[in-house]
Amino acid sequence: MLSRDQVELIQQEIDGANTPEGSAAVRSLLAQDPEARAMAAELRRVAVLFEQVAEREPPARLKRAILDALPQPARASPGALLRWAARGLRLVTKSMKEPIMTKKAVLIASAAAAVLIVVAGIVTGFPPGSRDAGTIGGVQPAARYHGKVMTEADVSLKNPEIQALFQNDQILRLVRSDVFRQVMQNQAFRELQANAAYREIMASQAYQQLMASQAYQQLMASQAYQQLMASQAYRELQANAAYREIMASQAYQQLMASQAYRELQANAAYREIMASHAFRELQSTEVFRSVAQSQALSQAFMREAMRVQM
Amino acid sequence: MKETPLATDEQDRALVERYLENHRDAAGALVDRYQQRLFNVAFRMLGNVQDAEDVTQTVFFNAFHRLGTYDPRYKFFSWIYRMAVNESLNMLKRRKPSLTLEDDHDILAPGGGAAADRAEAEDRVRSALMGLKPDDRAVVVLRHFVSFSYQEIAAVLEIPVQTVKSRLFTARERLRLALSEGVR
Repeated sequence: MLSRDQVELIQQEIDGANTPEGSAAVRSLLAQDPEARAMAAELRRVAVLFEQVAEREPPARLKRAILDALPQPARASPGALLRWAARGLRLVTKSMKEPIMTKKAVLIASAAAAVLIVVAGIVTGFPPGSRDAGTIGGVQPAARYHGKVMTEADVSLKNPEIQALFQNDQILRLVRSDVFRQVMQNQAFRELQANAAYREIMASQAYQQLMASQAYQQLMASQAYQQLMASQAYRELQANAAYREIMASQAYQQLMASQAYRELQANAAYREIMASHAFRELQSTEVFRSVAQSQALSQAFMREAMRVQM
Repeated sequence: MKETPLATDEQDRALVERYLENHRDAAGALVDRYQQRLFNVAFRMLGNVQDAEDVTQTVFFNAFHRLGTYDPRYKFFSWIYRMAVNESLNMLKRRKPSLTLEDDHDILAPGGGAAADRAEAEDRVRSALMGLKPDDRAVVVLRHFVSFSYQEIAAVLEIPVQTVKSRLFTARERLRLALSEGVR
């Protein structure tokens, strides 16, 4: 029976990692011990088998996809945005055998990702750290990034637009609801909030421009949006069935089809966020994926894509 | 990936500096230098072309985004290979247990003879690799498909050399048993 040291010496010899003394010891061992010779022969056969395996060529599109995703916001093109969105759609529908890559489906995926970010921004406010940030009820700034159980007092406010938004009774009711607290206590959602890229987006000038834009204000004031926010389905957001219900609901359809939402999509600030490297980094994080790759989202995206194709 | 792929560190550093000085052509050069190697590492870790492509793209995106914080005292290739291995391990953790590997046989040359032998070797090696624990697999991939030394593997994975040896030897024992049938 070969000792561990002897086996190690044989393996190091195959790797060319032995000292001259080590190599001499291996030669001596092989000359004396049939078991050692058999092991060395087997290990060499394994190494030869590995050498027969060809190196894979990466897909030709890979380099372009990598370079398109580089942080160069000023040069981001609609084509690059679509390619990024296509990748996003593929990621969230990875569990599906045949991802649908139509242009409309890609846009839906992009829109859904944007809604996730915007809604997250609405319900959480901007990241903490800003000295002029207030909170609903005037309580201390949020401690949510440290795992504290959320309350409505943990919603930080920063600018007049957001403060005005929270004067909306329906929004305020939502924030005060148990369901809101449940969403805030969701581990994946809290991790997403703590993510540096997410916080960068929330604090970015582009995001603030988006918040202050007329298109965004119109969207927030639209009846479709109000219906969605006030719906029972939204209150049960954490349940997968409820999320699917939202995606299939008339209110959501109206929101997606609304002029305000279309204007939002055309908004320069919105497009800048979508094309920003921070957003791409966020999208590539495990936390974001765990949110975006939820079965409910995947199914909703797929259903939406199927619906659009019909 | 048989040849030793270690790019000279000076060239990498020069390209990184050029990129940070807003010479965008340096990005293309870095991608050219590393995309195939990283893609192959990811592919051998994951056994799946699509996932390998995603991982490679994510690694480059993160690398370029973080180049400003890259410490030039350390080797660039260690840094970027580490990201590739870690991203692959993360991808494995995210995978659903029931996920099956894609069938990539169509990529290999059909027919008999040497092509068929290579296809068979590919199948058996991939199957054997996927039977290893991910941490052990990473060591085998870096040793056999990137031809890294023990020291280089240790630097990439940030583990002691002795741990590299231990994982490699353990993995080879499993590979030896898994691959022994038919190679005699």
